[in-house]
Amino acid sequence: MALTSSERDRYQRHLALTEIGAAGQEKLKAARVLVVGAGGLGSPAALYLAAAGCGTVGLVDCDRVELSNLQRQVLFDSSGIARSKAEAGRERLASLNPEIRVLAHALELKAANVRALFRDYDLVLDGTDRLSTRYLINDACVILGLPLVSAAIHRFEGQVMTYVPGRGPCYRCVFPQAPEGGVANCAQAGVLGVLPGVLGTLQATEAIKLITGVGEPLTGRLLTYDALEMRFHEFRVARRPECAVCGDAPTISEPRDPAAPPTGTGPAVRRLTAAALHELLRDAGSPAPRLIDVREPYEYQAGHLAGAINIPLGELPGRVAEVAPAGTTVFICRSGGRSLAACQMALAAGVPGPVNLEGGMLAWSAEIDPALPVA
Amino acid sequence: MSCTVRIASPLRSYTAGAATLAARGSTLAEVLANLEQRCPGIRFRMIDEHERIRPHMRLFVNTSEARELSAVVRDGDTVHVICALSGG
Repeated sequence: MALTSSERDRYQRHLALTEIGAAGQEKLKAARVLVVGAGGLGSPAALYLAAAGCGTVGLVDCDRVELSNLQRQVLFDSSGIARSKAEAGRERLASLNPEIRVLAHALELKAANVRALFRDYDLVLDGTDRLSTRYLINDACVILGLPLVSAAIHRFEGQVMTYVPGRGPCYRCVFPQAPEGGVANCAQAGVLGVLPGVLGTLQATEAIKLITGVGEPLTGRLLTYDALEMRFHEFRVARRPECAVCGDAPTISEPRDPAAPPTGTGPAVRRLTAAALHELLRDAGSPAPRLIDVREPYEYQAGHLAGAINIPLGELPGRVAEVAPAGTTVFICRSGGRSLAACQMALAAGVPGPVNLEGGMLAWSAEIDPALPVA
Repeated sequence: MSCTVRIASPLRSYTAGAATLAARGSTLAEVLANLEQRCPGIRFRMIDEHERIRPHMRLFVNTSEARELSAVVRDGDTVHVICALSGG
């Protein structure tokens, strides 16, 4: 795919690099890269890919721009608030580089659409903010044989890795399963605005290296970054022969929809908000629910709901008989993650309809009783 | 044996925000037991009730992955606790 005169001017600094040159720039022009998640990571990644002359850039995001996004999502500006991220991002990239094709996919990635979407691209960048979607993206990439550059962030820390099917581990090899109860995302935990700028540009760097064939890709190496200490660490990670999707006997042969969302529960586990539990406890006409606080003793001692019994999650398998076999049993922890795991343990042990206090003691303290200390 | 443990960001609520802690032990099991004494509850976030490393956690001694709690830790080593992150 030969370069035009205008493109030769635009990419002159790339052409001056012997490692890239005209041949590398032509590869970039022919490349089709899909950026899943136009957020903190996707913003810088897409901007640099577009600036670098990546011929086709696709943006997948079903959200709209919010004011709180602008602290880190540099693809957007204040005039774009309430607009579709995919569409506003498409306009920004097209304005940055009219020589390339930019496609907006304002949709939620699902098993039903992932194949049709991915098959029009050569490379995928994962910048989503939901752990379960990361598994859908990974599985689709392995099954379709697409390289994947994945990054994730939390507060002041990030991690990035490149996965090339047949040349090292996949995401499931590194983290075989998402945790029960999920991992806090940026909205819940906060994030330093510039952090995804570092990780997103690393993703774009990896994508450009893979497309042009220069350098050593970050395959089989997990790179972590701590912004507070300004340290990078690198860890060797091998493919797992028992991996469910890229292993020797894979059990996943089709992309499948994410399991329950991070704060979700199984069909037999009920969810109760702090306000709903408060109402239930005040309702003298109903039998009082049994409250099981599964936090560690020091957390329980700092402050707990009246009548709650302390059974730390680690002790629950051996003490599940103490949980009432009938009536309502509500499991409580600090933020709702450990109590969800407790509900699932209780369910497996035959406790009917265990209830999870959503948001845990933090929600109770915020909504019902701010004076109650939460360790 | 004394080593340094680097804590993944999502687990720093157990360490009062500290990114690194000194710990004692000649195996990973001993190091984590020592850590648990000072940071109650942190071990269960890494190790499940069957004494297996949780599937969203990875533990490394220096740059080598430790898949078993019997992994040897030497004086001056750094144990890295890595957790799958979800933010984007």
